[in-house]
Amino acid sequence: MTVEERVLDGNAAGGLLLELFGVDLTAAPCMCGGCGAREEVARLDVYVDCPGVVIRCRHCHNVMITIVRGPERTWIDLRGTSMMEL
Amino acid sequence: MASPIAWRIATVGAIRDETASVRTYTLRLPDWPGHDPGQHVDLRLTAEDGYSVERSYSIASEPERAGEIDITVERIPDGEVSAFLHDVVVAGDRLEVRGPIGGYFVWDVPLGGPLFLVAGGSGVVPLMAMARRRAQVGSTAPMRLLYSSRTWDDVIYRDELETLGIEVVHTLTRQQPPGWSGYSRRIDDELLREVAFPAADEPRVYVCGSTRFVDAAADGLVRLGYDPRSIRTERFGATG
Repeated sequence: MTVEERVLDGNAAGGLLLELFGVDLTAAPCMCGGCGAREEVARLDVYVDCPGVVIRCRHCHNVMITIVRGPERTWIDLRGTSMMEL
Repeated sequence: MASPIAWRIATVGAIRDETASVRTYTLRLPDWPGHDPGQHVDLRLTAEDGYSVERSYSIASEPERAGEIDITVERIPDGEVSAFLHDVVVAGDRLEVRGPIGGYFVWDVPLGGPLFLVAGGSGVVPLMAMARRRAQVGSTAPMRLLYSSRTWDDVIYRDELETLGIEVVHTLTRQQPPGWSGYSRRIDDELLREVAFPAADEPRVYVCGSTRFVDAAADGLVRLGYDPRSIRTERFGATG
């Protein structure tokens, strides 16, 4: 399978994000820290078959969110997201 | 009422063959809080050694059915979860699910129409929940489904789709039955132009299928003059 076929979208991370943040984020607009594009999380590119989950801007491919789960804790890197509207 | 994010135990009820590789499973969930058409559940399988794997499955059923939902699952070759569901699970088994999940790829009656639904293969599942909901409440919002399948035998919900009071346009990309007069190619701009509502009608659009299918359909609709904001998309993975 090519990389293009492996990329999903933010809908696929909906359950994980709901678990971590306690609210549905798929419909939440957020702004890319790279190019400034504003899109709902559902419209972002999501890779779920890496170590962890990687969420990228669909326009400039900047890494916006990475989530790595361990047995007892979870690491969330949001450096690539400049804003999220809830 | 249980939180949407709590894992809960579902009991498998009826199992129905839709096509040679697609089955619908009724999951009994006594405290199910209800859902919006288009939402999905996460399903988790855990082995005795603690290894666990999760997949998302769209809810196929309308919210009117209390205490149970249907999921429709395509058996993906080598897919860990879909193969288990198809080959091992029987009525009465218990599965861990959580949901409903998703607030973007959803439609409900007050949003109105016209609605243009575009499905590739098992991408029809969340759109079916919308069509069933619309029929169940007697909504008159115009709804048109463009549905791409490989062959006539791969068309999921084939008979029921004719009973829902919506327009259904099939395209069969790999093989067509004798005398087939419908479309017989992948979705392209010309096909979209012929089937989609005019952009001026400001339809709500929901597109679901493989990543390649979804991107091709959504890009084509934008070229037809559709506002990208009116097009809601959900990509299905092939990891199964």
